[in-house]
Amino acid sequence: MSFFGAPVFFLAAALFALGIYGFMTRRNLIVVLMSIELMLNAANLTFLAAARGTAQANEASSYAVFVILVAAAEVAVGLALVLAVFRLKRDSDIDAARDLRG
Amino acid sequence: MNLLREELSWITPELCLTLFACVALLVDLFVQKGRESVMVGFFSLMGLLATAFFLYRQYGVTPPAQPVFGCMVVDPFSTLFKLFAVGALAFVVLFTMLSRQTRPDGYGEFYFILLCAGLGAFFLASTYNLLLMYLGLELLSIASYILAGYAKGNRRSGEAAMKYVIFGAVASGVMLYGFTLLYGMTGSIDLTVIGPKLRDQFALDHGTIPISVATGLCLAGFAYKISAAPFHFWTPDVYEGAPTPVTTFLAVASKGAGFAALLRFLQAGFIPDRTLGGPEAMMGYSDKLGTLVAVLAALTMTLGNLAALGQTNLKRMLAYSSIAHAGYVLMGVATMNREGFSSVLFYLVVYYFMNLGAFGVVMYYANTTGDEQIDDLKGLGWRSPLVAITMVAFLVALVGLPPTAGFIGKWFLFTAAVKKGFLWLAVVAGINSAISLFYYFRVARAMWLRPEEEAKYATVHASPAFAALLLVLAVGTVWFGVGFDSLLRYCDYSQNLLR
Repeated sequence: MSFFGAPVFFLAAALFALGIYGFMTRRNLIVVLMSIELMLNAANLTFLAAARGTAQANEASSYAVFVILVAAAEVAVGLALVLAVFRLKRDSDIDAARDLRG
Repeated sequence: MNLLREELSWITPELCLTLFACVALLVDLFVQKGRESVMVGFFSLMGLLATAFFLYRQYGVTPPAQPVFGCMVVDPFSTLFKLFAVGALAFVVLFTMLSRQTRPDGYGEFYFILLCAGLGAFFLASTYNLLLMYLGLELLSIASYILAGYAKGNRRSGEAAMKYVIFGAVASGVMLYGFTLLYGMTGSIDLTVIGPKLRDQFALDHGTIPISVATGLCLAGFAYKISAAPFHFWTPDVYEGAPTPVTTFLAVASKGAGFAALLRFLQAGFIPDRTLGGPEAMMGYSDKLGTLVAVLAALTMTLGNLAALGQTNLKRMLAYSSIAHAGYVLMGVATMNREGFSSVLFYLVVYYFMNLGAFGVVMYYANTTGDEQIDDLKGLGWRSPLVAITMVAFLVALVGLPPTAGFIGKWFLFTAAVKKGFLWLAVVAGINSAISLFYYFRVARAMWLRPEEEAKYATVHASPAFAALLLVLAVGTVWFGVGFDSLLRYCDYSQNLLR
């Protein structure tokens, strides 16, 4: 349980909370994508912090590499879709997305 | 070398699907212009058939004692879900070939991405390794984002895909953070190791707050994937905006894979071995988790059904209906025991038939008329009786009335919930089924109870291929309502070997 007392764990939790906050409050889609990146990096930091100084440190780094890879793919698709919507609507504000509702 | 060959032989279905997906991309280049949809589609179907063949060969074979390559579990449970995914993919490919909604060019990529999404579902259903589970989920999700936005010039398709990618990325990020917390607590990403470690922690009575936070974050991600409340709000928009074959894929294959992963997650990590008698605290925690899922189930079905009542767009109504059905299925998950889990498997198979059918009819209707409103269905029964009759079979199954499979599936879910002591949940589900009768009936009324003169559209006969597809699905829907023995036995059997 000592892991939850480590400062770096709190740093990761704060990053994660910042990501959630940004996602909730920001209206610009690019900034929303950035907030999502923050959340994924908080997860990475937790992976690395949890294994620091143990025999599994290398293993945890490899998990983090996988997550970085997935995050890149996700943002690539996300940006492409934001761009496609921007071309159609000329607006990258999240509130512009309101053709579908009910 | 022999060991490697043996391990590889266990993942032939995955290898086969990957190979066909990649080659489908190449086939597209060599096919005559204008015929890509049909040719690449047939090629993908061949690939799915080959994959199904390899899966069938694993049926009934004693599964390997250790996970293949340390992370892929091959057992009847995963084989059932893989067959489920392959079948759903085959129908989606056929629907795409018959649909006019997807773009006329770029079919090669479309089928490639579709098969990749299927591969993601394969991984999601067959692992206890949290990292592979996350990768499978992302493979499935990222492919789904692209598919949802495939109708590029269409504003609604673009908007659906954008909402999907934003909410989806957040949900998977939340889930990943939950996974890392579990890793931090136990030092392992293997659920079969995490389970016993958590049991030790419960025995030491360290308090359950960190475990609760981690579990809650993970559950949020799963709830998103299966569109359960309070993470369901993306569903109607995405289902309405995406091209109909893609919606079918999301509603059936994607949701099924989400449930498979959820069952594995709960089974391995949070259900104490009753025969061994886990620590008291863990029993209590598992029951509390069950109650939480039960509350989510009640919330999900009620929200889904109440929102569906007011819908005028057929696809949007089916989206809310699929939220409601996620609620019914969660009822079986909430029991946290073997009987409940096997009723979940049974209901998912039933759900597969009735929803593929219902979305197939929507696709036919949208294709021939360019319209998706419920009211404009009027007179369809007199003009295209075959399509309308099969639609009635699907609707009756969705309500859950005999003699269809929908009734039997719900029956098992209800009994499992009542036996576990969730009588209130069964009552809520019963009231919800009664509510659902109203909006499903509205569709049937529009089709049959209006005179033929009011029909908005002239007769358009379903193509023979399409009629055959609908008939197969309708026969399946009714057949499993009567001859459900063998399916039930298989569901139970696959639970038996679920480690």
